[in-house]
Formats: sequence, C-alpha cells, structure tokens
Amino acid sequence: MRKRLLGWLADAALILYFVFALFPIAWMVILSLKPTDQLFSTYFSFSPTLDGYRTVLGDSEGIPFVRFFVNSLVVSVGAVALSLVVGLPAAYASARWRFRGSENLMFTLLSFRFAPELTVIIPLFVLYQKLGLFDTYVGMVWVLQLVTLPLIVWIMRSYFADLTPELEQAALLDGYTRKQAFFRVALPLVKPGIAAVSLLAFIFAWNNFVFPLILTSNEAQTVTVGALSFLGGDRPKYNLTAAAALVSVVPPLLLALTIQRYLVRGLSFGAVKS
Amino acid sequence: MITLSGVRKTYGRTVALDGLELEVREGEFFCLLGPSGAGKTTTLKTVAGLEQPDSGTVLLDGEDMRGVEPYDRGVAMCFESYALYPHRSAYDNLASPLRSPRHRLPAAEARQRVGAVAELLGISGLLDRPVGRLSNGQRQRVALGRVLVRPARAFLLDEPLSHLDAKLRQQMRAELKALGEVQHTTTLYVTHDSVEALALGDRIGVVRQGRIVQTGTREEIWYRPCDTEVARAFGRPRINLLPGVVTERGVRADGEVELPVRAEAAPGTDVLVGLRPRDITLHGEGHELTGTVYVTEALGRSVEVTVRLGAGEQRVSLVAPWADAARLRADDPVRLTVWPENLLLFEADRPERPGRRIETQA
Repeated sequence: MRKRLLGWLADAALILYFVFALFPIAWMVILSLKPTDQLFSTYFSFSPTLDGYRTVLGDSEGIPFVRFFVNSLVVSVGAVALSLVVGLPAAYASARWRFRGSENLMFTLLSFRFAPELTVIIPLFVLYQKLGLFDTYVGMVWVLQLVTLPLIVWIMRSYFADLTPELEQAALLDGYTRKQAFFRVALPLVKPGIAAVSLLAFIFAWNNFVFPLILTSNEAQTVTVGALSFLGGDRPKYNLTAAAALVSVVPPLLLALTIQRYLVRGLSFGAVKS
Repeated sequence: MITLSGVRKTYGRTVALDGLELEVREGEFFCLLGPSGAGKTTTLKTVAGLEQPDSGTVLLDGEDMRGVEPYDRGVAMCFESYALYPHRSAYDNLASPLRSPRHRLPAAEARQRVGAVAELLGISGLLDRPVGRLSNGQRQRVALGRVLVRPARAFLLDEPLSHLDAKLRQQMRAELKALGEVQHTTTLYVTHDSVEALALGDRIGVVRQGRIVQTGTREEIWYRPCDTEVARAFGRPRINLLPGVVTERGVRADGEVELPVRAEAAPGTDVLVGLRPRDITLHGEGHELTGTVYVTEALGRSVEVTVRLGAGEQRVSLVAPWADAARLRADDPVRLTVWPENLLLFEADRPERPGRRIETQA
C-alpha cells in the first residue's frame, strides 16, 4: 500500500517535471505555428500555419537562414574535427606521461573555460579585423577551439587514463612502434569516449552565441545569431524566430539519437582480469 | 642471455628494485620467486624496456639496452593482467605479433603458426571469440600463446599459470617445460608459487624487497637455503624451525631436546634448527628424539603428524607413510629419528632480518 503510494507520488513528480521541462519547447512550437497577424492576439486559439517555416527556409524577408544553417554545420563540425586531431594526441600524452609543466599546461587549457567569453571578445575582434579572419570559416573554427578543445582534451584524458598502459606495452612487445600502439590499440578502445565527447563538443560549438555575434557579420554567421535577425525591423516576428530556433535544434538532436549507443561506456570490459 | 647489474628503480619514495643483480644464461629456464611487491614484475618490465631503471645496466646477449625501445629488444612478455586487446578476437590477439612490422609473416604462414600454438594450448575452438567472452583461464592461455607464437630472444612470463584451475595448471606446467620454443629460448619466469619454481626452474632466484637474496638450482635452494625465510618458502608442510641454544655437544632446544648439530658458533648463541618434515622418520635409524602426538592429519597415502617434542611445548610436523602413522592418536608417545646431516642451522631471526644459515660440520 505504502509502496504504491510512493510510486504514484514519484509518477506525479515526474509528470510535473516533464511539463516544466517541456513547457518552453511547447511554447516555441505554438509560437512557430502562429500566423504573423495573430502573434499577440491570443495564447492558444489561432489558425495554425506552416508559413513561418516556409518563410524561414525560403530565405524570404531578406534573411539567408539556410546559409546560416550551413555555416553552423561547417563551423561546428570543423571545430570538433580540428579539436579531435589536435586534442586526442594531447589527451593521450597527458594521460600517459608526466613531463615538466604538463599539469600547468593542462590547467591552462582548462582555464580557457573559466573566463567569460566577453572578457576576450573585444581584443579578439580587433585582432580578427587586422588578420582578415573576421567573418570567415577559418576564424570561427579557430575561435571555437576555446570551447571544444579543453572539453575534448580533458574528457579524453580520463578515458585514456582508464585504459591500462599494459595494453600498449603488449603492443610494443608485439613489435609495434609507439605510434602504432596508439592508433591500433589505444584509439579503438576509446571510441565510445570519442563519440560522446564529440557530440558534447558539437552541441557547445553549435550553441555558441557570443563568438559569432561579434566575430561574424554575414558570410560566416551562424543560426544562433541568425535566428535573432527576425526580431529586427519595425515589427519583431517572434513566430519566425521560434521556427528558426526549432529548425536549428534538429542537427544536435539527430546526432544525439544516432550515436546514443556509443554513449554507453564499457567496451573495454574484458581487457584485463577482473 | 639476460644480465642485470645494480638495477635500481624507485617510484616516488618506494623502492621497487634495490640494486638487483641477475644473470639468466642462454637457453635457461630461470624462475624468479618472491612475494607480491618484491619487484618481480618490475624486473620483467625493466628487461622488456617498459620501465627505465634509475641506475644500473640491462644487457641482452651482452648488448647494453640503454635507450633501446621495447619493440627493438626482441623479447616477448606475458602479462599477469593478460593485456589482451579486448576489441579483437582471440585469433587476432595471437596473430598480432606476427602482423607487426617487426615480424611481418605472410598471412598463410601466420595462420599456420597461430593454429599450431592454439592447438598446443587447447584453445583452437575459441579463436573466433572476442577475448571479452573468454574465461580467465582461457584468456591466460591466449596471453601465453601470444608469447609462444613468435620467435624471441627471451620469453618473460609473469605468473602465466596463476589463473588456471589446479588440474590444468599442473598439466600446463609439465607441457610448458617440454615445449620446444621454451626449451630453446631463454626464459625468465615470475611466480610466487614455490612448487612451480621448483618444478620449472633450471635455476631459481629468490627475490625480496627489490633484491635477489639467493640464486641457485633447486637442490642448492632446498639443501642450502641462505636464510630462514628462504627455507620457509620451499616445502609443504613448512620446514620446522626449533629455537635452541648452542652447547658443547650440539644444540639444545626447548624441552631438553638435544640435537647433534655441530657448528662454529660460540656456546650460548641463540639459533634455529631446521628440520624438513619429510626428513623425520618414525621408525628409522639415526638420531633419536622422543615426544607425544599432538594431532594427525591424513594426506592420502601419507599422514602429517604433529608431535610435541620432549617435555616441552615445542612442536614439529613430519610426514610419515600411512602404514606407520595410521594408528597414532593424540598423546601417544612416539620415537622420531633424524639424520644429523639433514639438519640445517640458522641464526635466530631478528625483527628486521631473517636468520642466516650457519655452516654445519658433519
């Protein structure tokens, strides 16, 4: 009896949380389906229309939303890819070897996440203007390393540290070089970690707002900033902003669903005696 | 040939190897015996080049190995943790050394080689399985196979039989020694099991606290152990060590027991007399001792008898044939005999150091 009561209470609490968590999204969906002239008239009674999505994806209103979307994809994927190429060897080295200054180096890397982006954005703006990186893909991929690189290095470091070094030592004695031991033994074993951290890094890069706001104007602008363009002009069009925001949620969501199974850890199970 | 001289290795404040000296001769099967934490694994890893010694030298076939990478040393090692590649099948694990740039055998030849080794170790039926789905004993055999499958200057085996069940272990022990690969290759074998060391080792090195305290053949280790701890490490039941005092005629142990051991030690010196349980007989000839039965334990065809010596509380255990000991009951008086030349004499143990053996005179 008491158990059942507790069960109901738990269910009720979950439903309450569910409503709380999904309310903003539901609100956005409703907003995105409203026609422009009924935006402020009512809350729930309106004639639903997909015009908002058509306008956003059709590049009307003079706002190239599709390009922003592609920009976001290019810049986020680029940033994650670069971070993986640079960060995986760094994470491996820092997990396996203590060298002079290694801990300071790692801390410095982490400290990039401490400072609010706004504190560095003005000097960066000036530098980017001078270097010709303003409003370019290269510039965006580069600056997003501040977001993705520390994340990838620190998380992958703990994955590598969890692997027993004896696996790579066995490879060395099998006659493989250290580089081969890294690529053939260590790297395949942290695949689930790479999948998980790439997804996280992608989401952070995708959601970043401050860097594209200041360091892009049009050519390399991303969806986070682009979605706000619909609020400009004489009448803010909240329905279009909502539609744009919902469209921009799709890639991270799809990505999360597809690699979900890699997010479960435990592939290295059975490597060593338990 | 493996030569280590003055090898010292520390991890922070802990000293793993403390000036270790070791020579393994060409083609020899050398057993390193010691308790866990004595530095056995560190010794193997130092030979393999996986650990760099703080000081001292490692020679392989007379060649200084300083600065030589593990893959250039040409040694094979079986890890106690197996260190199998969990994302690959048993076959791929076994074939890994043969596919490496160092050996690079043609696929057909590699398949044949892996097949032969798998056959030898009784894992032919498991080759397709991922190693995660093998039992500990099977994994251990795959790990051993990965060593045997390739030619090597030396095999370094770290407790390679420890996780097999008793029957399989005994069988593998016999087979391991008979393998051509092992017979022709210098082998350094680490174990904490003295039975294994006695059974396998051409020579045995006893390791304690990062140092080799004694090296020798099984006879040397058995009959001339360097101190009480080495004497205790070999033989089950354990050697009896009776505390006593040196007198004019021999040694007097507790309970007015006289033992005929002569040594160059001043009368009055505290000593320990070592008596192997299998060297004491119930109805034999030799020096006589008397006592009463304390407890008996049947071991199958023989009986372990624990006897209270003389008038005191000092106990010794011995192993007697079933026929001689089956009828003994607690408190029965017994007569024991020992050969004086079988007695070992040690200095008394001190807290920081086990008593060293004292040379006896026949």
